[in-house]
Amino acid sequence: MKKRNLLLAALVLASLPAAPALAGWKLVPHAKPIAVAKGTLTVTPDADWNRWSVRPIKKGEVWTLDGTGLNEVYFVSGLIVGETLYRDADKKNRPLPTLTKGMTLTDIPEFFESSNRIALNTSLFTVTGVEPAKMGERDAVKFNYEYAVEGSPLKRRGMAIGSLSGGVLYLISYTAPATHFYEQNRAKAEAIMASAHY
Amino acid sequence: MALLARSLRIVLAALLVIQPVLVETARAQEAAAQPAALPVAEEETYKPVDKDERGLWMDTEEGERQLKASQQVIRDPALNAYVRKVLCNLVGQGKCTSIRLYIVRTPDFNASMAVNGAMVVYSGLLLRTQNEAQLAAVLGHEYTHFAGHHGLRMFRQVKEKSAAAAWLAFTGIGLIASFSMAASLFSYSRDMEREADSGGLALMAAAGYDTREASKVWEQLRAEMDATAAVRNTKSRKDKNGGIFATHPPTAERVTNLAQMATANPGVAGATGLDSYSAAMGHWWPVFFDDQLKRNDLGASDYLLAALAQQGWSPWLLYARGELYRRRALGNDIADAEKFYSQGIEAGGELPELWRGRGLARLKLERPEDGKTDLNEYLRRSPDAVDKAMIAMMAGETR
Repeated sequence: MKKRNLLLAALVLASLPAAPALAGWKLVPHAKPIAVAKGTLTVTPDADWNRWSVRPIKKGEVWTLDGTGLNEVYFVSGLIVGETLYRDADKKNRPLPTLTKGMTLTDIPEFFESSNRIALNTSLFTVTGVEPAKMGERDAVKFNYEYAVEGSPLKRRGMAIGSLSGGVLYLISYTAPATHFYEQNRAKAEAIMASAHY
Repeated sequence: MALLARSLRIVLAALLVIQPVLVETARAQEAAAQPAALPVAEEETYKPVDKDERGLWMDTEEGERQLKASQQVIRDPALNAYVRKVLCNLVGQGKCTSIRLYIVRTPDFNASMAVNGAMVVYSGLLLRTQNEAQLAAVLGHEYTHFAGHHGLRMFRQVKEKSAAAAWLAFTGIGLIASFSMAASLFSYSRDMEREADSGGLALMAAAGYDTREASKVWEQLRAEMDATAAVRNTKSRKDKNGGIFATHPPTAERVTNLAQMATANPGVAGATGLDSYSAAMGHWWPVFFDDQLKRNDLGASDYLLAALAQQGWSPWLLYARGELYRRRALGNDIADAEKFYSQGIEAGGELPELWRGRGLARLKLERPEDGKTDLNEYLRRSPDAVDKAMIAMMAGETR
């Protein structure tokens, strides 16, 4: 009987998809400065967050409070010319835009929008506001956006801050469903952005 | 079994769209078995007649329910009325009333029609068909699929052949047989596509369009694929294919066949409906093109702009071209972009973004004073712009 149970357990384990078994979440404690996305970008959250062990790109990192579907913070630290904002999953047919030489702050929202439209495969993506900001001591651009993905009535809202230094990009975005969740955790995301420096 | 039937329906949904899935040569030409005669599916009162068809309707109705709630559907009454008018001219008033039309905002070239009479037209198609006759060619093609019960016929083929193929594979002797049976399914799909091409062209001719426009739709698409490949420095996908597993005939074959059919049945020579098409799309083209230009496909986008500019480069077309080059920003792109914005302004363009684009381009070209002047002009013309705070900072910084 025991043997059979073991066999069953082995079968169940074997049939589980591999990725979730490998993916993990680590607690990011509040009020402690932490370097993100394997780069020099450093933030100090005012709440406990969860960091995903899976990185969309080598220089990227994902945090969430309750699951990425409800709130997601994406960090990019030190993206250089020729690199993409997300993993270039369908490079042959739908290549993502790459960071180009001579980009300025006003190009960041355009780069972000185009990357997201292709990665999410949607045309329903709108940048709703663009204003100057600071990331630590450096000049930055802060922008807001909204989108919905194909086949879903759910509207998502987001805000992001981006900065360029010597053509190298540092970016933090916060995205959540427009109804309830965006506002619920906006202050916590803003605290991360306000504490950011590189 | 229910699960199998459901997954078959999903496979099927992918098969009957007009998308240019590219193929080589259609070798397997197994005769498509005709089912027992079905009533023509075009009457308003038509209802599914058996279990297969009822199942298909249930699934497509669920899909349609989701589509209705989708934010992607463009609900502009004028645009919907225009596309519906073209459809009704084509199939007749009585037959078109039962068709539900959904124009969805997505930059791909595609259209489809479900078995229950829900027609989906992508905005990317409206950007690519260059006149009313070309739009009619695609709508007529999809309507022929619908009226001929192609969805249901395909479903039955898939069901019969996959059951047989599964059994053959199970016996251990039938791997090759099951493979060829699967291949014959796709051949069946290609045959129905050919039927839809010829049916669509006949509808075009009867409605008084120049049928030569039908083959041009595919010629343009092939040229666009060449343009994409040329800029990306890759091989053009125009003759790329799924071989015997392709759902659609090769586009080259379709061009030849449609051109031959047009010689035999020319319709009304010169009746392309260009003016009415341009009038109906005028407001939407900038929106559709904006979706296209953010796709990071400069070759195709530039090709489409040139196609739209056949009647001359209007200010918004020049603006769009400027945006395209400014966003790519390789080599001389910024200098070219600056030139296109300037041409747009000289051509009497009043779009505030012309000055925004040129101002940003000029800043990069190290012409700070000119850039600043342009950005201030943009803010003057568009005081409520979403990026006014950022642009004001850029305009001030260069003082």
